[in-house]
Amino acid sequence: MRLRTASRVALATGLVLSAAACASSNSGSGGASADGKVSITVGCMPPTTQAGPRANWIADVAAFEKLNPNITVKGDDSNPCDDPATFNAKLASGKMDDVFYTYFTDGANVVASGQAADIQQYASQIHGLSDIQPALTNIYKQGGTASGDLYGIPKGNYSLGLVYSKTLFQKAGLDPNKPPTTWDEVEADAIAISKLGNGDVGYADYSAANTGGWHFTAELYSRGGTMVTPDGKSAAFDDANGLAVLQFLHKMRFTDNVMGAKQGLQYNDLLQMMASGKLGMYVGDPVTLTTIHDQYNVSYDDMAVGPMPGQAATLVGGDGYMFNKKDTPAQIQAGIKWINYEFLTSGQGLNFNYPRRAEQKEPVGLPEPDLWTGATAAADAAAMAKYANMPVANFATYVAALPSMKLLVEPPQAQALYAQGDKAMDAVLTDPNADPQKLLDTFKAAANSILANAQQ
Amino acid sequence: MATINLTRAVARDLRAADPARRGGLRRKLRRNATAYLFLAGAVLCFAVFSWYPMIREVIMSFQYTNFAGDTKWVGLRNYQRVLHDPDFWSAWRTTGLFTLFALVVGYAVPFALAVVLNEIRHARSYFRLLVYLPVMMPPVAAAFLWKWFYTPDDSGLFNAALHAVGLPSVQWLQSSHTLAVLCLVLFSTWINMGGTVLVYLASLQGIPGELYEAAELDGAGLLRRVWHVTVPQTRLILSMMLLLQIVGTMQVFLEPYIITGSANDTTSVVYLIYQYAFNYDNYGSAAALGVLLLLVLIAFAGGYLWLSRRAEEE
Amino acid sequence: MSAFVTPTRTLISQAQLARPLGRTAYWTVFWVLIALFALAFLFPLYWMVSGGFKTPQQIIQTPPSLLPTSPAPGNFATAWRDMDLGRLILNTTLYAGGALVFQLVFDVAAAYALSKLRPVFGNGVLFAMLATLMIPTTVIVLPAYLTANDLPFTHWSLLNTPWAIWLPSVANAFNVFLLKRFFDSIPTELLAAAAIDGAGPLRTLWSVVLPMSRPILGVVSIFAVVGVWKDFLWPLLVLTDTSTQTVNVGINQLHVGVPENVFVAALAIASVPTIVFFLFFQRNIMAGLTAGAMKG
Repeated sequence: MRLRTASRVALATGLVLSAAACASSNSGSGGASADGKVSITVGCMPPTTQAGPRANWIADVAAFEKLNPNITVKGDDSNPCDDPATFNAKLASGKMDDVFYTYFTDGANVVASGQAADIQQYASQIHGLSDIQPALTNIYKQGGTASGDLYGIPKGNYSLGLVYSKTLFQKAGLDPNKPPTTWDEVEADAIAISKLGNGDVGYADYSAANTGGWHFTAELYSRGGTMVTPDGKSAAFDDANGLAVLQFLHKMRFTDNVMGAKQGLQYNDLLQMMASGKLGMYVGDPVTLTTIHDQYNVSYDDMAVGPMPGQAATLVGGDGYMFNKKDTPAQIQAGIKWINYEFLTSGQGLNFNYPRRAEQKEPVGLPEPDLWTGATAAADAAAMAKYANMPVANFATYVAALPSMKLLVEPPQAQALYAQGDKAMDAVLTDPNADPQKLLDTFKAAANSILANAQQ
Repeated sequence: MATINLTRAVARDLRAADPARRGGLRRKLRRNATAYLFLAGAVLCFAVFSWYPMIREVIMSFQYTNFAGDTKWVGLRNYQRVLHDPDFWSAWRTTGLFTLFALVVGYAVPFALAVVLNEIRHARSYFRLLVYLPVMMPPVAAAFLWKWFYTPDDSGLFNAALHAVGLPSVQWLQSSHTLAVLCLVLFSTWINMGGTVLVYLASLQGIPGELYEAAELDGAGLLRRVWHVTVPQTRLILSMMLLLQIVGTMQVFLEPYIITGSANDTTSVVYLIYQYAFNYDNYGSAAALGVLLLLVLIAFAGGYLWLSRRAEEE
Repeated sequence: MSAFVTPTRTLISQAQLARPLGRTAYWTVFWVLIALFALAFLFPLYWMVSGGFKTPQQIIQTPPSLLPTSPAPGNFATAWRDMDLGRLILNTTLYAGGALVFQLVFDVAAAYALSKLRPVFGNGVLFAMLATLMIPTTVIVLPAYLTANDLPFTHWSLLNTPWAIWLPSVANAFNVFLLKRFFDSIPTELLAAAAIDGAGPLRTLWSVVLPMSRPILGVVSIFAVVGVWKDFLWPLLVLTDTSTQTVNVGINQLHVGVPENVFVAALAIASVPTIVFFLFFQRNIMAGLTAGAMKG
């Protein structure tokens, strides 16, 4: 029976091969061997589409391994770094990298899942931990409070502000160095810009692919509101603040008529509108300017970022690393060393090696990531200023306002809530007869059901 | 594919129970052992990747499973939750609308086209080649391409085309829900119709010419010949393609996932399953919705079988 | 004009076409169709290729230009390099080739057993297989994913290995059905003759059945390859490592942050292999696909 043998062999080889593949994909776990060598897999290595950062990462790994001959760092370049399609399944089955990448919004879930290692006892090894903004480290602490044990290390963050076109401000007779600081001023400036005619839009906002809900949240924060109750069990945005967000947009769209006819916008749309020179203002963070600059060759001189209107609070998002609970102590310490080297030391690594960035024509001068406070922050800002290759003054008002603002993270079940928020945003921007209160009530009911669902 | 004929064939096979298998017990055993060895690979793959997941789907629809791996029985709670989710109804509306448009555009157009093409005596391979080209593109690449064509401002291809003939630009995916779904159907038809047109062409070529001649002698005009000869002669393939089309479009995922990204309420049922499972970590609801979709599909196929059997009896 | 000598008569008779009015109508329809097909099926591809040659400003320019005014062929090189298209295409080829081999081995063996060896419960097995045709893969994608992530008993994970594509592809009831139907049509006497000559079932399959089955093997092969090449949701879930992804998944995962013109160039490159493959094998593919569908 040749076939039997053949198929048996095929099957057996198959199983052995796949077993080998499984083994190798997990090679990091228990990667410490008797001779003191440690090997770690680390998430979010820049993918091939980011050739520059990727080369830098590879160079940094080589330099780091030279400094620490007993450590081997293996990058995982899966993209997106945190793919919602597989994040939870990988987490549940313990298949995360030894040092795995997370968004701020994952922090609490991951701690609750019991799949991450408690790194509190190694906290003293984290470089400059005390100078990292407490709001950011708390995200990775048990219970989200300063007293909880530490489970992860933040490495990057963004805060939303108001991106505006200096060119259009100038044309409309507004001061291009004085962005609006309240929503009423946003409205006045938008009217002025729209008056220019030829299709110029004063202000635009998202309403699709979850970005609408995301901006609703940010604008709610800016007015002093909050998305969910402190226990995370029910929606808290159906109040005067939430109503104000929707009413304001509805008025801008249909009464003032300054938001343009095109709606249903999502992430790249606002950037593209800004790039084409037809948009006055949008809510966004400084890094969007580099996208516009890189993708559409728009000069940095034409754009600037002001603080989030209202200046009470803004939405902060970001990312960081956590540790697989299967890691050995040696792996955790090696991981911390690597993160210190690559992400937490001003003057080196992927984000803070300013001379290298400047030489490679990567943007230097963006006020983000904005990890530190106090002396470290000041020292880093000074180091960056020396190599800045964009007009740093264009972020001055944004940077000046941030320290006094509350930095609020995204709500639990963020993506599910945002998907519902899109609908409210879309309705106020497309339906002249939309009833903001009714939309808010619908949104709230859907949000409560999502939150209850997550609890079970 | 071809569920109906399959089911019939199976019934035939089942009925045609093998004519008494003679021979000793030993030989019988050996024959069975050999047969099952030949079957083993396929059966194992079916068991692991089809049968077991099917059962597991039903089980999971009555369970709560979280990302930490805790599992408990929750009775009908997942079903209740899904039925009360406004997105559920919206997803069915979208899927239903998609199916409806796909019937008009994706079903009727290829057939009409095939009927016309069958009359063309020149450059036949040109037509076949071209209509089949999109089928050979990686669907994700094609979907991104169309998303780009649908660019809402005037830099988009379709808007430029409207401008070229003096029409105002359209928001396409970002205008009304109906138009957005229609946009998805247009893409879906473009990329899929090559296969259907070729199948229709093949079946049209099987129609005996005498039938047309006889009809012509009876004084039947062009349209009457189509109606009284072409359609009845291709009825089997037409009705099969109808079922396939409906079952296929009910499962639409790639189009809304890539092209609209669920904007404008264009989330389809399968896309909602995906969202439940992978965006909202809600495996129970995803499984419950999967079971519901399955029931609907079975109902469709069952109804189809019943109708076609009745038509046969008449 | 040899084309006019069609032996079979169709909807419109030869005589009708020969009349002056008929001839005018025919040629009008003909040229309209030629133009329509070019517009519907060639122009989008042209637009894609020319878009790949445009500069970043030109690709968002209003109104768009028909020709890239200052062609930037570098976009194609950038796309090839940055999106690692070579690897994506290679991966997909590997998956398609493997799926083809596995389906040919396992599905042919199974169909042969069901058709000619007819074991007890054979019909039950066939029925259970055909029942999966009613269960679309998309519906059971979640439990199938969880299963592939943690196989029963062994607890192996197939994620990011070719097995995650190859093994599930074997569970293809339609191909088993096509093969079985074809094998059914092979006269039993032939097999009996082989048996008298002392050939075992495997010899019979190899030297009697398979040589007669070339057409159906061709059809099944095309289905196997095209199936893998077009699949999206399943590989999206099971191939999360960039280095293991298919063309479809890779394009989807890597498109964020890639400039539009480079991305369009990438789409053009990604479409080349299958289109070239098709142009080479068009006769076989089209014959196979129609035959397969008609058989069903």
